[in-house]
Amino acid sequence: MKPAPFDYVVPATIEEALEHLDRGAGDATILAGGQTLMPLLALRMSTPGIIIDINRIPELQGLSRGEGATRMAPMTRQNVALASSDLATALPMLTRALSHVGHFQTRNRGTVGGSISLGEPAAELPATAVALGAEIEAHSLNGSRRIPAEEFYIGPYATVLEPDELVTAIHFPDWAKGSITVFHEVARRPGDFALVGLVGAITLDQGRIARVGLAWFGMGPTPIKSAQAEAALMGQDPASIDWKELAAMAVSETDPFEDHSASADYRRSVGRSIFARTLPGALNQGAKA
Amino acid sequence: MNAPISGAGRYIGQRVLRKEDLRLLTGRGQFVDDISIPGVLHVAYIRSQIARGRITSMDLDAARAVPGVHAVLTAADLGVFTTKIWSMHLTEVGGPLTRPLSNENVRYVGDPVAMVVAESRYIAEDAAALAWIEYEEEDPLITVEDAMNGPLVHPGTDNNIVREVQTPPNPEFDNIVASAAHVMTSTLRHQRIAQSTMEARGVVSNPTGMGELTVHIGCQSTHIASAAIAMAFDLPENKVRVVAKDVGGGFGLKAQPWREEIGAIAASLLLRRPVKWIEDRLEALTTSCPARESDITTTMAFDKDAKLLALDCVYNSNNGAYPHMPDAGMPVMMFMPGPYRIPAYRFVGKAWLTNTVGLGGYRAPWAIESLARESLFDKAARQIGIDPVEIRRRNLLTASEVPTRNPLGIEIDNITPIECLDNLLTKIDVPAFRAEQAEARKQGRYMGLGIATYIEPTAANGVFPLLSDHAQIRIDHAGKVIANLSTHSQGQGIETTHAQIIAEQLGVNVDDVTIYQDDSTRSGFGPGGAGSRQAVVAGGAIIRAARLLTEKIKAIAAHALNANPDDVTIEDGMVKVAGAEAMSRSLKEIAMLAYGDPKRLPPGMEGGLDAQYRYTAPRMFTHASAAHACVVEVDAETGFVNIKRWISSEDCGVQINPAIVEGQIAGGVTQAIGVVLHEEFTIDSRGNPTAVTFKDYHLPAISDVPTFEYTHITTPADNEGGFRGVGEGGIIIGGPTLLNAIADAMLPFGDLPDDLPMSPTKLHKLMQPNPPA
Repeated sequence: MKPAPFDYVVPATIEEALEHLDRGAGDATILAGGQTLMPLLALRMSTPGIIIDINRIPELQGLSRGEGATRMAPMTRQNVALASSDLATALPMLTRALSHVGHFQTRNRGTVGGSISLGEPAAELPATAVALGAEIEAHSLNGSRRIPAEEFYIGPYATVLEPDELVTAIHFPDWAKGSITVFHEVARRPGDFALVGLVGAITLDQGRIARVGLAWFGMGPTPIKSAQAEAALMGQDPASIDWKELAAMAVSETDPFEDHSASADYRRSVGRSIFARTLPGALNQGAKA
Repeated sequence: MNAPISGAGRYIGQRVLRKEDLRLLTGRGQFVDDISIPGVLHVAYIRSQIARGRITSMDLDAARAVPGVHAVLTAADLGVFTTKIWSMHLTEVGGPLTRPLSNENVRYVGDPVAMVVAESRYIAEDAAALAWIEYEEEDPLITVEDAMNGPLVHPGTDNNIVREVQTPPNPEFDNIVASAAHVMTSTLRHQRIAQSTMEARGVVSNPTGMGELTVHIGCQSTHIASAAIAMAFDLPENKVRVVAKDVGGGFGLKAQPWREEIGAIAASLLLRRPVKWIEDRLEALTTSCPARESDITTTMAFDKDAKLLALDCVYNSNNGAYPHMPDAGMPVMMFMPGPYRIPAYRFVGKAWLTNTVGLGGYRAPWAIESLARESLFDKAARQIGIDPVEIRRRNLLTASEVPTRNPLGIEIDNITPIECLDNLLTKIDVPAFRAEQAEARKQGRYMGLGIATYIEPTAANGVFPLLSDHAQIRIDHAGKVIANLSTHSQGQGIETTHAQIIAEQLGVNVDDVTIYQDDSTRSGFGPGGAGSRQAVVAGGAIIRAARLLTEKIKAIAAHALNANPDDVTIEDGMVKVAGAEAMSRSLKEIAMLAYGDPKRLPPGMEGGLDAQYRYTAPRMFTHASAAHACVVEVDAETGFVNIKRWISSEDCGVQINPAIVEGQIAGGVTQAIGVVLHEEFTIDSRGNPTAVTFKDYHLPAISDVPTFEYTHITTPADNEGGFRGVGEGGIIIGGPTLLNAIADAMLPFGDLPDDLPMSPTKLHKLMQPNPPA
């Protein structure tokens, strides 16, 4: 369990990092918090020629509140984001999801951008980005672009990011004050990846659902936006919704797999249960608050 | 003086804090990888990527050319030595001839075929990745079923059965079963378990002096390791010094040096350099002799009063290609009858070879007996329509029936399972639970209660080297106590417990006693940590040695002080004469007399202040007893098992340190929780292990472990000290206790699946009204 030889560079600026990425021509890997990359290197499942360590680029650290959105620099440590009262006020859904990411110790190193860029399909943060409608900002030497999170993921650990692109920010749009957090994760042990997970937000306006974002994790090759269920919920009075029927619809949008921890049938069945319970539960609590 | 220790003493029975913990918790322990020797070389193994086949070519030139590589060795290079692997009994392993490196045929994924020896592990792994080996691949045998029907794993045998055991024929057996009022049969399939010691295996081998070898190795006995290494290299055993101060878990895995350790030692002898091999977690989870994989079909026949008439077992185990020792279920057969009255007994067991990594010993290797027996008792009780506690009461051996012999001739005496069960039932109100359970079911909540009883055969005595232990105790000239013991600790706390025994016996402060057990050349021969024996056997040796030493101290003091030896006592390190406070002398003063003033010793007495004793326990097995109960709730939504209560009621005789007793129970039960709920060493159809990190190999987490409620009965055993072993009980009884609770919770949905673990997917599927096709 020793990594294969690699070159190691520590750029001080984004520009410098992009130059290394460009020169690396697909043989370079970005080192953020290392919570996934280090084990993959040790197992020689990942054998990059160059590792670009972006831990010492000041612009990639921290989160800031802007007009209508929270800008999360990718190297923001998960525990730093979790401890942010600004974030807890603006996006309690994200704070809630962060509390389920790994363990206290791994969150000290693990970064928000690292998790979102990696695209582990059973991880909390990619699904949360999809559910909340985040945009992922990426730079290359040729310029920059913003990619909606729901278009970002194309398979397990696979994204639309080009080999010369670096994630430089994640923009989470604001959700109206009082929006309701939807979160439920079924994991074998605290800190494990989800067997089944559901995350999202709902905004009510005069008793009706005015905005909704929902995504599954652990339910397919990527985080899965529950687009049909979202559409069915829009404009509805929660009291009139047949949650079982809607849960079945939401699960029909997923494509779960079988692995060591659970069968695909298990994931579908548990997904239906948690959807049908979590959404009305969250709405009830939201109504009381 | 000669009265047996019983109940709480000044130290015996006290929760003395572990003397080991300060160094372990502050990073000052000394494990194998902490040994650093100038000029040491590092080994990485080149391992087979296929499960079965013949090596057609091996090109190691590129590996040899890597700068920093000192050698790339194959079986041919090691051929100058015997390098034969020996069992923990220092006998032939009884199966296939096992050597560090495979030569022509590979027999499991991970089978070592060559080794790189280089200046660092990094370089060694880089070079290993450049080895180019071609194979003629064959379809592997993965399961016992494959082994029954497939080609031979090792040539030159009649079939893939490497060992068989069975009870003597009983022509009446089938008739007894046929005429029984109730007959129940059940199969249990035990998954393969990874050993998961916190410290994986490792060795640092250092050829020193003229033909001497010092080996630092993760082991369970420095003496067995020393002997096995000497035998593997045709060296005199007194030239092989094995040192192992701290070992992070053994469980049986480290009971004998295995292929990789012997290979690294061979490299050190060939290259005349210190050589280190540290097993990494990937190796530990793929190629480090896993355990348990077996199935057992058990039949119980009862009369109309639910009394057992006959017990019938068919056992098959998957031994892989190179087992530690072939396991056809000999101990399962011996211990299956447990504390019960079994008029007729039949057991047939077979050990099968497959193309998987060899089966290893693991804490209570026979534990499937309690799993099978106790879970079938519950099924039988339900079918007959009586309470699970009641069926046990009708079949447990009562006080008037012991001593007796079990169907295998094993003496059963001085056991207390009924007392343990009675005590357990004072801690849990079964009728109240049944009412709560019924109410919960109405709300769609599925609670269950599991109870199991057993006896644990500890301190096995009769097969070399599990016979005796040795203690040498000396008081140095400063009055402090040094004890060199034949024991070994992989975390059990022997430096504390055995110091407590000495402090109690000698009348000294426990802080003034230091135990050494880390060096094969310093202490007497003993088998170390194996078979829950160290309290019983080494404890007895200590008491006897300390008694000799006490007599000497008293004799010296009485002579020097002109007092009657019977009036001399030792308290808190002070030697006192009854009624003459002013005559008190410190142990240091007595020690100075013994070492420095021979003229003042009683006539004819040797100088110095030390004593030794080798002790053998009086019985073949010193039985411990227990009954456990647990309450679970199975979540109908997720199939998760939530353990709500766990109560242990055990009798390990006189407790040296209840905190350490409870630690042993907690650790064993936690492993059992892992077995029943989580752990599974999975292998695909090509023989590749598929749970190769702790992300996929699920150990129980602290969130899976309830707050245990311990209760103790302390019936002294009839050995010196009255101790009984407690090392393996938790893992034995934990499994059936939890499995019975889950079965009870799931009763509305039918019988549990017959294969472990009881994963959420399996339980959830059982709970669905219309399971998906």
